[in-house]
Amino acid sequence: MKLNLKFDLNTIAKIHLNHLLKESNLNYKSIGFGEIEILEALSEEKIVELSAKLLENGIEIVENQKSVFVQKIKDAIIEMVQNPDDITVKSSVYLSEKLNYNYSYISNIFSEVTYTSIENFIILQKIELAKQLIISNELTLTEIAYNLNYSSVAHLSTQFKNTTGITPSAFQRIVSKRKELASKK
Amino acid sequence: MAKEYMNIILADDDEDDRLFFTDAFDELKINTKVSTYNDGVELMDYLNAEDAILPDILFLDLNMPRKSGKECLIEIRDNEKFQNIAIAIYSTSSSEEDIEETFVQGANIYIKKPSDFTLLKKVLSDVITINWQYHTSGLNKDNFLLRM
Amino acid sequence: MKINSLYKSPVFLKIVFILSIFIIFFISAITFKHLTSIRKTSYYVEKSYHVSLELERLISYLKDAETGQRGFLLSKDSSFLLPYNKSRIKIEKSFNRLSSLTKDNPEQQKNIDKLKFLINKRKNYLSKNLYLVRNKNFNNAEFINNLEIGKITMDSIRGHINTMDTIEDRLFKERTDDYNYTMKFTPIIIYITLLITLFLIVLSFVKINKDLIRLKSSNAKLVIADEASKMAEIVGNFGSWQYDIEKKEYQFSDNEYRLFGCEPNSFEANLENFLKYVHPEDHNYVVENITKMEETEDLPSFNYRIIRADGEIKYLSGIARSLTDRLGNKILIGVTNDITQEYAATRLIEERNRELEANNKELSAFNYVASHDLQEPLRKIQTFISRIEEKEAEKFSDSGKEYMSRIQNAADRMRLLIDDLLQFSRTNKTEKVFEKANLNTLLENSKQELSQTIEDKKAIIKNEELPTSNVIPFQIQQLFTNLLNNSLKYSKKEVSPNITIEHEIVSAATEEQIPGKTKDKFHKISFKDNGIGFEQEYADKIFVLFGRLHNKNEYSGTGIGLAICKKIVENHKGYIFAEGKPGIGAVFKVYLPIG
Repeated sequence: MKLNLKFDLNTIAKIHLNHLLKESNLNYKSIGFGEIEILEALSEEKIVELSAKLLENGIEIVENQKSVFVQKIKDAIIEMVQNPDDITVKSSVYLSEKLNYNYSYISNIFSEVTYTSIENFIILQKIELAKQLIISNELTLTEIAYNLNYSSVAHLSTQFKNTTGITPSAFQRIVSKRKELASKK
Repeated sequence: MAKEYMNIILADDDEDDRLFFTDAFDELKINTKVSTYNDGVELMDYLNAEDAILPDILFLDLNMPRKSGKECLIEIRDNEKFQNIAIAIYSTSSSEEDIEETFVQGANIYIKKPSDFTLLKKVLSDVITINWQYHTSGLNKDNFLLRM
Repeated sequence: MKINSLYKSPVFLKIVFILSIFIIFFISAITFKHLTSIRKTSYYVEKSYHVSLELERLISYLKDAETGQRGFLLSKDSSFLLPYNKSRIKIEKSFNRLSSLTKDNPEQQKNIDKLKFLINKRKNYLSKNLYLVRNKNFNNAEFINNLEIGKITMDSIRGHINTMDTIEDRLFKERTDDYNYTMKFTPIIIYITLLITLFLIVLSFVKINKDLIRLKSSNAKLVIADEASKMAEIVGNFGSWQYDIEKKEYQFSDNEYRLFGCEPNSFEANLENFLKYVHPEDHNYVVENITKMEETEDLPSFNYRIIRADGEIKYLSGIARSLTDRLGNKILIGVTNDITQEYAATRLIEERNRELEANNKELSAFNYVASHDLQEPLRKIQTFISRIEEKEAEKFSDSGKEYMSRIQNAADRMRLLIDDLLQFSRTNKTEKVFEKANLNTLLENSKQELSQTIEDKKAIIKNEELPTSNVIPFQIQQLFTNLLNNSLKYSKKEVSPNITIEHEIVSAATEEQIPGKTKDKFHKISFKDNGIGFEQEYADKIFVLFGRLHNKNEYSGTGIGLAICKKIVENHKGYIFAEGKPGIGAVFKVYLPIG
C-alpha cells in the first residue's frame, strides 16, 4: 500500500548520529544542531576512523572554524525561515542578534565560505519550505505566501520563478505527475 | 566540499557543443572533472560498468542517436544505484510540455543551451553552485528543480 | 355544416337514389290505394243506387200486386189477376236481387229479412183475400180484416222500405263523402311528394354535373401530371415504382426500366427480374432491405450497385414510403435515384480532402523540423561569435568590431524569428488533446509566468471568475500568456498597465463579428488594457503572421504572439477579435465555444 512520508531531517540525523556514535562506543553531548561534544579524548587515528564512518553516512566533520560559523548561520537562517511568525524584525537584525556579531561580518564570512550571499540563502530556504508546503497539499498558494511572509502570491511566484525557473503551479503539477508515475510502476 | 572536485559528465552528440561545454568549465574557477560521451549508449555503458565513478551532475542532451536523452533519463531514474546523481537536461529548445515531461521523468535541471558563451559559463556555474548548496544544506534533493 | 358535408359525400347520391325509389313506391302505393278506393266507392255508389232502384221497383211491384188485387176485388174480373201474378213473380225476383245486393250489409240484411216477412205476410193476406173472393166470400169480416191487415202491412212495408232507402241513402252519402275526401287529399300528397322528388333529382343532377366536370378536369390534369412525371424522371435520372402490399405486385415506371438500361416494360416487374441487375456483391444487402421493407411497409434510404444491360456499373439509391389510397389499399411508393455521379463526386472530394490533410501534415512537420533544426547552427554561430568577441575582441579593428556587432544583431534577430516560428508550428503540430480544465488556473499560471514583468511594470491585473471548459490546457495557457504579455509590452510609458479580464456567456446571434447567426453559445473572454492601443483599421493585421504595427527598434518582438493566439483559438473552433483606440487602450475578445 502507498504511504506518503514527510521527513523531519533534524530528528533523523540526530537519531542516526546517536546510533553511529553508540556503535563506536562514544559518549557525547549534543550542543546544538551540528555541534556535539565527545566526552572523551580521541586519537588522530580514531578521529580519522570516525570521520570516515560518519562520512559514509552523510555526516561530515567540519574542521574549519569559519565553516563552523557558517553552519551556525545556516542553522539560524533555517530556524528563522521555518518560524516566520516569531520573527518581527528584519532578517539582518535577527541574525545579528542571534549570533552576536554585526551583520556585515556575518555576511562576509558567509559569502567567503559558501560563495553565495545570505540573502540568496534565505531565499533558497524559503523556496525550499514553499516547495514542501506545496507538496503537502494542505495549503493554498495564497496561504503559503502569507505564511512565509510574502506580501502576495505574486511576490511568492516571482521569487519562486526567479529561484527555480518554474512557477509554483508548474512545480505542483510536476510533483503530482511524478507521484502518479511512481504509483504506476 | 567533501571531495576535491566535482565529477561532471556530458552526453551530447554534437561536437561543437561538447567543445563549448569543456571550454566553459576550463575557464570556470571550480574544481571539476569533466568527461563527455557521444551518445546515450556510450553513456549508459559507462554508467552501468562495475567500477564506474558516478558523476555528481550529469548533463544530458535530448536529441541523440541510438539512445535519446529521454530514454537515458528514464533508465537512470529507474536504477537505485544512480539516485544521487543530479541530472540536468541540456538541450536546444523544447516545448513547454516536453520540458515539464523531463521534470516529471526525474530530471532535476533543465537548461536551454545558451547562444552566448559568457552566458553558458554563468549558467554552468550557477548549476554547480546550487547543486552544491543542496548537497551541503540538507535540502531535499527530490525537490531540486531548476530551470535555466 | 353537416348538411354541406353530406352533400359533398359520395353517399349522397346513393341516399337520393334510394330515397327516390322509396318515394316512387310510396307514391304508387298511395295511388293504388286511392284508385282502389275510388273503384270501391263508385261500386258502392252504384250499388246504393241499384238498391234504391230495386226498393222502388219492389214497392212498384207490390203496388201492382195490390192494384191487381184491388181491381179483381172490385170487378171480379180475373183479367186483373194477371198483373197480380206477374207482380208476384217480379216481387220474388226483385226481392232476390235486393237480397243479393245488400248481402254485404248486415243491417240491411236484417231489414231484408224483416221485409221478406212483411212481404210474405202481405202476399198471404192478398192470397187469402183472393181466395175468399174466388170463393165469393168477400164481404165477411175476415175479408175486411185481411184488407185491414193488408193495408197495415203495406204501410209497414212502405215504411220499412223507406227506412231501407234512408239507410241506403245514408250509406250512399257516406261513400260519396269518403270519395270526395279522398279525391281532394290525394292530389296534394302526390304534388308534394312530386316536388320533393323533383328537388332531390335536381340536387343530384347538379352534384353529378359538378362531379363530372371536376372529374374531367382532374383527369385532364392527371394526364398532364403523368406526362410531366415521366419527363421529370427522364430529366432527373430517377425511376419510380409501386408495390401493392396486399397483392404483392410490383409496378415499374418507364424510366425505372431505363435506369437498368432496358426498354420500358421489357420485362415483368417483379423482384426476381430486378435482382438480376443488382451487383452480385450487393445482392444480399439488397435482398435484406427488400425483405425488411415487405415486413415493415417502409423503406429508409439505402444505396446499392447495379450492372446494367450494357455492362455499366451504376450506383443507385432507393427509398419508399407507404401510402393508403382512397379505396383503403396499401401501396408502397418508391423512388430509385441514380447517384453514380454524386458518388463519384463525393469520392473525389474525399480523396482531395485526404490529399490536403496529408499535405498539411507534411507542411506542419516540415515547418517544425525546419524551425527546430535551424536553431542548432544558428545557436552555434551566435555562441562562436560570442566566443570570438570575448577572446579576440582586442585584435579587431573598429570596423571589425562594428561588423561583429551587427552580425550578432542579425543573428539575434534570426534567433527570435526561428523561436517564434517554432512556437507557431508547435501550436499546429501537437496532438489536439482536449480535456476539462479550469480556465482560472490557467490564467493564474500565465500570471505566474509573467510575474517578473508584472512586478517590474507594477501592473494591476483584475479578472472575473472564468469557467471550466473543454480545451487544450497548454495552448489556452499560452493564449492567456501571450495576451497578457502583449498588454504589458504595449503599455504606456510612465503609466502602470491596468489589465481587466471579463467573462460572459453569449450567443452567436448577438455578436456581430461572429459569422453565421446560429444559436451556438460561446464563452466570451475579454482582455482590456490601458496601453497605447492601435488604429481600428489594423484590427485584422495584428493577427497576421509577423504582422507588426511598430518598428522592431521601438518594441521588441516579431509579431507572432497574436498570430499564435489566433491559431490557438482556431484550434478550439473559436474566434478572436481586437479593438483598439490609439492612446487609450485595446480590447481583445476571445470566443470559445461551449461544450
